[in-house]
Amino acid sequence: MQIARAWRQQASNLRLIGSECRGCGQLMFPERVRCPKCRSVELASHPYVGRGEVCAVTTVYEAPHGFGDQVPYLAALVRLEEGPVVAAMLTDVDPADATVGMRVTMVTRRIIADGSDGPIVYGYKFAPEGEGGQP
Amino acid sequence: MALAEIVGVGRTRTGEQWDLGLLDLAAEAGGAALDEARSIAPSGLVVGNALHGALGDQRNPATYLASRLGLGPVEAISVADDEASGGTALRSALALLAFGGHEAVLVVGVEKTCDSPPDELEAARASGLDVVREGGFGFGPAIAAGLGMGQYVARFGVDRDLFYHLPATAHHHAARNPLAFFAWTLTFEQYKRSGMVAEPLTVCDQAPMCDGAAAVLLRKAGSSRSGSHVKVLGSSSVSVTTGIDRPVLDLALPASTMSVAKALSQSKVALDEISCFEVHDANSFIAALAIESIGLADAGQALLSAELGEFRVGGTYPMWTFGGNKARGHAPGASGVYQVAESVLQLRGDAGENQVQDARLALVQSLGSFGATAVTHVLGQ
Repeated sequence: MQIARAWRQQASNLRLIGSECRGCGQLMFPERVRCPKCRSVELASHPYVGRGEVCAVTTVYEAPHGFGDQVPYLAALVRLEEGPVVAAMLTDVDPADATVGMRVTMVTRRIIADGSDGPIVYGYKFAPEGEGGQP
Repeated sequence: MALAEIVGVGRTRTGEQWDLGLLDLAAEAGGAALDEARSIAPSGLVVGNALHGALGDQRNPATYLASRLGLGPVEAISVADDEASGGTALRSALALLAFGGHEAVLVVGVEKTCDSPPDELEAARASGLDVVREGGFGFGPAIAAGLGMGQYVARFGVDRDLFYHLPATAHHHAARNPLAFFAWTLTFEQYKRSGMVAEPLTVCDQAPMCDGAAAVLLRKAGSSRSGSHVKVLGSSSVSVTTGIDRPVLDLALPASTMSVAKALSQSKVALDEISCFEVHDANSFIAALAIESIGLADAGQALLSAELGEFRVGGTYPMWTFGGNKARGHAPGASGVYQVAESVLQLRGDAGENQVQDARLALVQSLGSFGATAVTHVLGQ
């Protein structure tokens, strides 16, 4: 990964930032510049609290390049308390214990290390509530 | 009224072709399509390719292919629309015929995958998802499909092993296609032995990445030389809101449903009149959703229909009659053009042992961006 790209994504990787429509109140993730519901352009940046529930999960055995050192890992869809869904890895939990409906909290972890001389990218993963992250 | 006539088709063998590069493959397929109609000199060329940019290969293949084929001064357009590239290339060519001032346009889909290791290929394919929020966080299309397959099994309460019948259908047809990558039948035992990729999705649920190129030569419809050529009757492309969560949690592909409705309406054809189908089967999950979204099975019923043989030649809705992406081989940027070329052969009556009796109309759909984009074409005699 290019260093500039990793740098540019720092803020949105370390916090869950989406958009809130000032017209109709629609919450979105990832960020958008127009509301898909009411077409308003009055959108504000919206940081999510980072708590939610696993709504789909899989154990990955064959990973895309750059993620092979983490195999087997848990890839999940997490529905945030505020509504939007985030694609993220689960951490601090055995694959056998990761289930749909599990309550999870956002934590910051290493996402990818690009070789020995590339940037180390940190970002959000989700841990069982009360385990790695906030209660 | 027809949008265009297809006066030539070309296909290379699919598989690992170590002695051929991206443009070699494209030239072989494009040349074969030109050879079928030597009196026609296209003044436009559209090349579809999905992965060349991510894999560091020629990223403007149309311009270089035009030179390789000796086409002379032409309008050359390269199209990259993820795994819908082939369908989008055909649609772009139809637009060139409609208002680009061209009488004939050559469409080529090409992909060169075997030079890259599997994890790099999957990373390149992952750049067809949201490269920041999905690809950048360890997700690729196979992982998204694994998530979806788990949802499908839980939501519809179906036996996970029923998914076998989708790849088995494709392999059944590929066994009689000499150009197919996996030209053999798939037994349940082989399927069950297959390695896990992203639970519960296994290697055998995935279309194998491979090299290949396919081509179709289009001519404006209504020319005085019009004869018995297969025609493009309808064309539609729809993109909806992206995000792997939508197909996985909704278990539906609205882009697919909408583009089918538009293409059928334009063709003035009903779904039940279609003789044969080419449906995007990059993996068993997306294939099941596509079948249901097109309207060939009710929600949660695609696997049962496959088990009953409805998608085999002789069944209600024959599909993947040359093996589909699953068994003919999936050369992502070329697959959409293979689907069209194979459907033309069906409608010409040149499908050999997999010929659908009295095939008159075909529906072809390719999907990109994990189903957010659907490109549908209706072909007829």
